[in-house]
Amino acid sequence: MTGRVIVITSGKGGVGKTTTSANIGTALAKAGYKVVLIDTDLGLRNLDLLLGLENRIVYTIVDVIEERCKLKQALVKDKKNPNLSLLAAAQTRDKTAVNAEQLKEICNTLKEKNDFVLVDCPAGIEQGFQNAVAGASEAIVVTTPEMSAIRDADRIIGLLATKEEITSTKLLLNRVRPNLIKSNEMMSVDDVVGILEIPLVGIIPEDTGIITSTNKGEPIVNDEDALAGKAYRNVAQRILGEEVPFLDLDEPKGIVAKIKNAFAKLKAKV
Amino acid sequence: MGLFSDIYNTVAKFFRPQEEQGDASKSVATNRLKLVLMQDRTNLTPRILEQMRSELIDLLSRYVELDKELLELNFEQEGDQVALMLSIPVIRAKDEEEIEAAIQAHKESLENDEESESEEFEEESETEEETDETESSEIAEEKTEEEIEAEKTDAIAKELQDVPKIIKKKKVSKPEEMGNNPFKSDETENIEDVIESSSENK
Repeated sequence: MTGRVIVITSGKGGVGKTTTSANIGTALAKAGYKVVLIDTDLGLRNLDLLLGLENRIVYTIVDVIEERCKLKQALVKDKKNPNLSLLAAAQTRDKTAVNAEQLKEICNTLKEKNDFVLVDCPAGIEQGFQNAVAGASEAIVVTTPEMSAIRDADRIIGLLATKEEITSTKLLLNRVRPNLIKSNEMMSVDDVVGILEIPLVGIIPEDTGIITSTNKGEPIVNDEDALAGKAYRNVAQRILGEEVPFLDLDEPKGIVAKIKNAFAKLKAKV
Repeated sequence: MGLFSDIYNTVAKFFRPQEEQGDASKSVATNRLKLVLMQDRTNLTPRILEQMRSELIDLLSRYVELDKELLELNFEQEGDQVALMLSIPVIRAKDEEEIEAAIQAHKESLENDEESESEEFEEESETEEETDETESSEIAEEKTEEEIEAEKTDAIAKELQDVPKIIKKKKVSKPEEMGNNPFKSDETENIEDVIESSSENK
């Protein structure tokens, strides 16, 4: 079998690449696919924390490259889901410990025995980015509806367009706050898509549940009730080729918002 | 009374649809972002953009009388294609004599600038164009000043042909966008602001 290698990137830091990697990976694994997550953020690894695997890591990607262990030994299996495993980044080394060719080789080896290889890319456009992209054939660009994140995403999209191996680049809009969009204080999904002009793979609402899920080391897709979890599950389904409508984030929650909405509708009728 | 109107306003605000509230800071963000992305994508800094703008005004003013204040120079992206959109309201068409005079004046000013034998290198540039195709690599290595100048004039001549087409395209295909153009005069003011601030820094 030949799996798909997807790089999750953004340019700007802190927009949710690692959270996205952990959640999409978990969702795909829950759907029955074999998934490997690779953390390529050498020196600043975090994917292990989000998955709650930080205490299980024995070998890292650098150990594999420097032949201190076999690739299989360095893969850490998820606690709950045997379909999911993690290849952790080395915390004590920097980006120069790995080169693009080596990462490409690892991706190529892993995709032979897995359905999906998800590469969590570090922030920036330097060596770390070049390494992470090297083995991938698809890319998901994560951004938030903020100017700085969108500008950086635009830069990344431009760089990805120069890579022949990348055949598909899709947008994941993270931390969307419907109430701010409604009051015209945040760019809407359409605004962002109109500017970046790449197809959308997901819209993830801002969800405080993300904080608690990070605290626990358990991706929010495991929480059936969380809206962000549902949004990430939808992303996974879209990656699998299903057509899933985007969540309607406009639906107001809470009694006050509902009353307000009812009055607004009434007013519109009058 | 004051108390009652305060209460009324508070209550009214509460029931007003949310769209009416807020200062629309998102449209500020969208416009700023579009402008900065245009600069990022094209490598045109505000300074260069302003230079391009003023050169285009100079060039076109020789042929028609323009409303320079209302000039719009925008980039629009459709898929992979970036199009340069130039829109300038024409105040009045010039008659033939005026155009001739303007062209003549421009030529003279060019000659004065260069103080060199312009006729001679115009001839040269023609013969060079022929060799260009066969031995382009060699020529590229040893470009003389004259050749660079010749290319410049070629480029200007090309501009002359291209610019009216762009204007036409804008007018024919996008009349409805004139109203909500993202890089309208507001943003050109922004450019000027940037230039001003950058020169102040120096």
